[in-house]
Amino acid sequence: MSFITQVLATLGWIVVAPLAISPIVWLILQPYFKGWSRAERRAADLLRDALTPEQFRQLVWRGYLEIPSPTEPQRVYRVPRTRGYIQVIENGRAVMRLCVQPVECLPDADVVVLHKLMIEANEENYLKKANKYLCIE
Amino acid sequence: MGMLRVMSRRGDDRVTWDEQKVLAGDPEATAAIREAERIFTQERAKGATAFRVEPGKPTQRIEQFDSTAEQIVMVPRVVGG
Repeated sequence: MSFITQVLATLGWIVVAPLAISPIVWLILQPYFKGWSRAERRAADLLRDALTPEQFRQLVWRGYLEIPSPTEPQRVYRVPRTRGYIQVIENGRAVMRLCVQPVECLPDADVVVLHKLMIEANEENYLKKANKYLCIE
Repeated sequence: MGMLRVMSRRGDDRVTWDEQKVLAGDPEATAAIREAERIFTQERAKGATAFRVEPGKPTQRIEQFDSTAEQIVMVPRVVGG
């Protein structure tokens, strides 16, 4: 009898303890979740404003955004939706990977916009700053 | 309406102003434009790059605050990773 009571009590605690702790854990973590989601939402707004509907669709469906070089007609920069290398495509072939990142931590959507703006209006400086990794066949 | 958007870990911070009201001498609009200019200068000093972004026009890098711009986006300094 006492063994059954003990088992039931243990099971009860297994159920009750997490329920009791979860509001406290939520209170501690909530500001971080809230802050991050707000930042992501604002960044997503900027991304939608900065891209054409076709570019936005490409980013969502293909996972990358292709930005034509303003100086080299045969060159395209492929910017991933999430953090990663930027591929440089020339005449349809990947010739280089670039690693460029902001000094401040930004939401992923803002990073995509950053690459787009830098490539379109500041390409020379962008390439100067980037670490380059040549693709060798 | 003009808007300054500064990228940060919080998403982007925005300051808006109304050029017409500034020209009409509205003190609130003048204060808003001064605030935008102050933030612009402060971010530039930290190494940020500013772009004038307008729909249907090529993106343009700018060195000075332009109150006639529809939208200015400032991105933090970048480094090779």
